[in-house]
Amino acid sequence: MLYRVIDRADVPSLVAAFMERYEVVAPVRRGEKYVFEAVSDFDEIALDYPTTIASPKKYFLPATETLFAFDARENAVTDYVDEVRPRVLFGVHACDINGIMNLNSVFNDPRYPDPYYRAHEDATLIVGVSCTPTDTCFCHLMDSEEARPGYDLFLNAIGDRYLVSIGSVTAANILESACDVREATDADRAAFRAATRARQRAFNPAIPDVQEIPMLMDAFHEDAFWDELGGRCLSCNACASVCPTCYCFDIRDTLDPGAETGRRERVWDACTSPQFAMVAGGHNFRATPAARVRHRMYHKLNGFLATHDRSLCVGCGRCAAACKVDISPIAVLEFFERKGADDGE
Amino acid sequence: MSEIERVTDEPCAPRVVFIGLASCFGCQINITNIEKHLLQVLGQIELGYWQLTSSEPMPDAFDVAVIEGAVTTEEAAETVRRARERAGCVIAIGACAATGGIPGMAAPDITGCAAAVYGDAVPEACGVLRAPAPVSALVDVDFTVSCCPVDPFEFVRVLDAALYGSNRLAPTSVLCGQCAQGEGGCLYKRGQMCLGLVTRSGCGAKCPTLGRACNGCAGLSPDANVGAARAFAASRGHDPARFDEALRMFNTVALVAAGEGE
Repeated sequence: MLYRVIDRADVPSLVAAFMERYEVVAPVRRGEKYVFEAVSDFDEIALDYPTTIASPKKYFLPATETLFAFDARENAVTDYVDEVRPRVLFGVHACDINGIMNLNSVFNDPRYPDPYYRAHEDATLIVGVSCTPTDTCFCHLMDSEEARPGYDLFLNAIGDRYLVSIGSVTAANILESACDVREATDADRAAFRAATRARQRAFNPAIPDVQEIPMLMDAFHEDAFWDELGGRCLSCNACASVCPTCYCFDIRDTLDPGAETGRRERVWDACTSPQFAMVAGGHNFRATPAARVRHRMYHKLNGFLATHDRSLCVGCGRCAAACKVDISPIAVLEFFERKGADDGE
Repeated sequence: MSEIERVTDEPCAPRVVFIGLASCFGCQINITNIEKHLLQVLGQIELGYWQLTSSEPMPDAFDVAVIEGAVTTEEAAETVRRARERAGCVIAIGACAATGGIPGMAAPDITGCAAAVYGDAVPEACGVLRAPAPVSALVDVDFTVSCCPVDPFEFVRVLDAALYGSNRLAPTSVLCGQCAQGEGGCLYKRGQMCLGLVTRSGCGAKCPTLGRACNGCAGLSPDANVGAARAFAASRGHDPARFDEALRMFNTVALVAAGEGE
């Protein structure tokens, strides 16, 4: 990895350089919160944002995406729609970069690679930025506090400068052309170390670190705790809507008003949706909210590990903020922390 | 429900009738708001009966019955039963037909409500009143287009599903998830009481997106967790009685059926 240092004052010209060739998507303020959206000027960007309502997943897996157009009379595909625009995601936190890495490992699985996802991925540059944890952040417990691969540039704030980790030649060239780029000094490295330590100390200590969580989940699969969570689940899927790593989708056909032509679309779906596990004939093999919530938590904290060697949850905390009834991996961690304490008594 | 079975061997467009029961007829009018697409839609069907466009009486034979409005009289109940017998497919459109809607508010006490409006003698023109009910309380309904009023394009999608089949499923998850996708921020954070907590999704969360709380017009989801939703609203300072009162505007019939009504 190459590291260089730029002044904070150089960031607007970096953004402007990206804008010459890319759509730039960045965190912007909306009401009391923040969202990722396309910007046309650096001043719209809130680079010190705490978190966004929903994740940047929407730029890789849109909530509704047309897969192809068809002619219903001919029963034939008429157009393979490929709406991909070259884009820079500017100001992405480490948790979200790790979330995108998780999506990559799903959609680039060589057994069934997804050309639509891949097209978005190939057309997207990612510029990460360091952050300060919010009260619901627990990326450090999910091995997602740091983005290792997965970005083109990563801006580590060190006072009035950024220590920039460089991940791609394309982005390095743009950085070089737009900014006064310097070698990192010992003072820069010391400042980086201090900033990292400060972040590590800023995590909410009330969120417990339960390292053996996958094993505990297997051991307490039938615990009444899951009924307790299911008993208050609203079945709204807000958790999945904001999650950086929920990737399930449904596929459906939409006819145009004349019913002669139409589009095949994929739309987000979620395992917390009551009909998600309903199969032909009407049987629903996860018919209760308890079974659905448990399934979601297992996939996030246990199941994905078995196939991808890391937890699917990246600890961004968005679901904890979005859920009206306090169902989130944090509640699961807290439960198992109590469970461990109870058993020790 | 898949494709319509023809009554004759003659190739002909599916015969569709529109039946208006107790409602404002706003859903039928809203269908015309597809404007330039209206002729494309009408081109696919033989419109057998629509009071808004013709005084001709309802024919005896048809393939699809589109019903707007709640069943509030014995005469309407008979109309619905006869439509079900004749049509291969019944589509309920709008909150009144789907949930009992606004007329449904009178369901727990139709006698008292009629007396409050008409005094001792209900005019004969009203017919024989009965407790307002959604169409599905009387007959099997193949498709439902929710909301007050219906989204006209959703109506067209459902009509297409009736005519040609579809791989879409009407969702039963509640609205908050769809609202969260829009990233407009939760209205509870702005002090508003919103019924998206228990209301069937599918409408695209248009009202909350415009800053207006959901009033439940898409209907109580069969998977709604009313108890947990009420508790959440209470935790944000909204009296549970007010929450229930708001919910009764479109969902009295469902609440009574679920033992949640008065």
